[in-house]
Amino acid sequence: MKILVVAERKDGELRRVSSEIAAKAQGFGDVEVVAVKGDRYLPMAWSAAVAEKARGADLVLVGATLGGRDLGARAAAKLGWAYAADCTDVTPADGAVEVRRPMYAGKIRAVVKVPLPAVVSVRAGAWTLPASAPAPGVNEIAAAASDERLRYGRFEATASGGSRVSLAEARAVVSAGRGLKGPENWKLVEELADALGAATGASRAVTDAGWRPNEEQVGQTGKTVTPDLYVALGISGAIQHLAGMTSSKVIVAVNKDPDADIFKVADYGVVGDLFEFVPAFTEAVKKVKGSG
Amino acid sequence: MRFLVCLKQVPDSTVRVKVGSDGRSIATDGITWSISPYDEYAIELALERKDADPSTVVSVVAVGAARTKDALRQALAMGCDDATLVVAEGDLAGLDVAKALAAVVREMKPDVVLCGKQASDDDQGLVGPALAEALGWPHVGMLTKLVPAGSCVEMWREVEGGHEVWNATPPVVGLVHKSEKEPRYPSLPGIMKAKKKEIPEKDLASLGVTPGAPRLEILAMEPPPQRGQGRIFKLDGDAKGVAEQIAKALHEEAKVL
Repeated sequence: MKILVVAERKDGELRRVSSEIAAKAQGFGDVEVVAVKGDRYLPMAWSAAVAEKARGADLVLVGATLGGRDLGARAAAKLGWAYAADCTDVTPADGAVEVRRPMYAGKIRAVVKVPLPAVVSVRAGAWTLPASAPAPGVNEIAAAASDERLRYGRFEATASGGSRVSLAEARAVVSAGRGLKGPENWKLVEELADALGAATGASRAVTDAGWRPNEEQVGQTGKTVTPDLYVALGISGAIQHLAGMTSSKVIVAVNKDPDADIFKVADYGVVGDLFEFVPAFTEAVKKVKGSG
Repeated sequence: MRFLVCLKQVPDSTVRVKVGSDGRSIATDGITWSISPYDEYAIELALERKDADPSTVVSVVAVGAARTKDALRQALAMGCDDATLVVAEGDLAGLDVAKALAAVVREMKPDVVLCGKQASDDDQGLVGPALAEALGWPHVGMLTKLVPAGSCVEMWREVEGGHEVWNATPPVVGLVHKSEKEPRYPSLPGIMKAKKKEIPEKDLASLGVTPGAPRLEILAMEPPPQRGQGRIFKLDGDAKGVAEQIAKALHEEAKVL
């Protein structure tokens, strides 16, 4: 089987998900890893370049990032190939691949047969990157310049946006909900996130109230995350929120209400005041990590 | 400016989805159907343009079973001007849905086509980009805001750390992630007006679409694994003690710290 891995860069570095896919794909057949030249994703030009390069391949794999899902879908349409999004596993199976993927906003896990040739996007963290995996050799492919009908204007930074690890790829996430009482208390979340090396997330109540930017929303209509550690602070656990984080490896939840639904998925649940617990937990984490 | 919003009817997001007896589809009896949440945001973005400029026309279209008319009527009640249903019973491949929508777009000639970034049933996110591809139009994904600027439309794309603002010369496709305001509820007069509106039906043949795109086959469905009962701690005035126990457990038992 001929596999084309379309890698993605961020700030000049290969994204972790691209390395994960490149390493795993070695077991499927002949792999070529490519990346489109240029800093800014252009849907028409990039998907055309990838589709051109993909002709003759059996399977195109991309990371299920925001850009990767967009690129993969349009390239599949251009090629007239099958497409499966946001897969958590891919297994070659005689003229097809069998993929595992969430559906119904994470309320269902499906096994899906995808006929080849196909484009498949794979979720970050679905495949563990072996420590011994060599950095893949990446061939650059060129895309046409920006389309006249769609010109890049400017970047509008989110006030609080920034330097933290990306939520979708983070190995640890600290999220907060209405129990935080107000945006002025966000520093509690950040201090714990800093101690853990985590990304910060929020419940829909918090993003809707404007305490945090939309891009931090975890759950249905927000992001689905699958970190090793998810810490939910003052989040009651609406079904839409659970759909976005219930596949995390370990869940720690803090809530005043002992009947909160979040405790049904928590491995470690703390019933009590988060304003008492979180500062103590931040200190305890620092101590364990030996950084405090 | 003319908008066409493409929508899909899906199980309501508050519904507890259950696997059907065949093990490869969901149980649909007694289910509440709604407009897919991202499509509702798309409707809201278009209607906000209409609020600002009443000459704006907002049309909606859906490809689906006859019951999809309820979703279209809901969109009319929210304030959309007209609705079209492309009747297709059973599951259609995403690329075929895109072809059918492209045929409708060619007839209606909107300036801006909006789709939700993905439907909340299959979560594929294929139809929007595939529709843009079928039309040969540019598209902007992760759209959260749309501002007319002369002959252009500013399209705000959410990315890590902020928004890229793209200047599009219509026609263009936008894949909506969110609207700044929550989608509006239908007003009572809106509901009354929507009841009286005709929803014309088209079929695939009349649009010149013969389904033939590669299809995905669902082999099995299951609910996510139930998580085991976790350990519950009560603070009882000893936040420090509990915090240290959990940090230690994360380090030694769960090995995630």
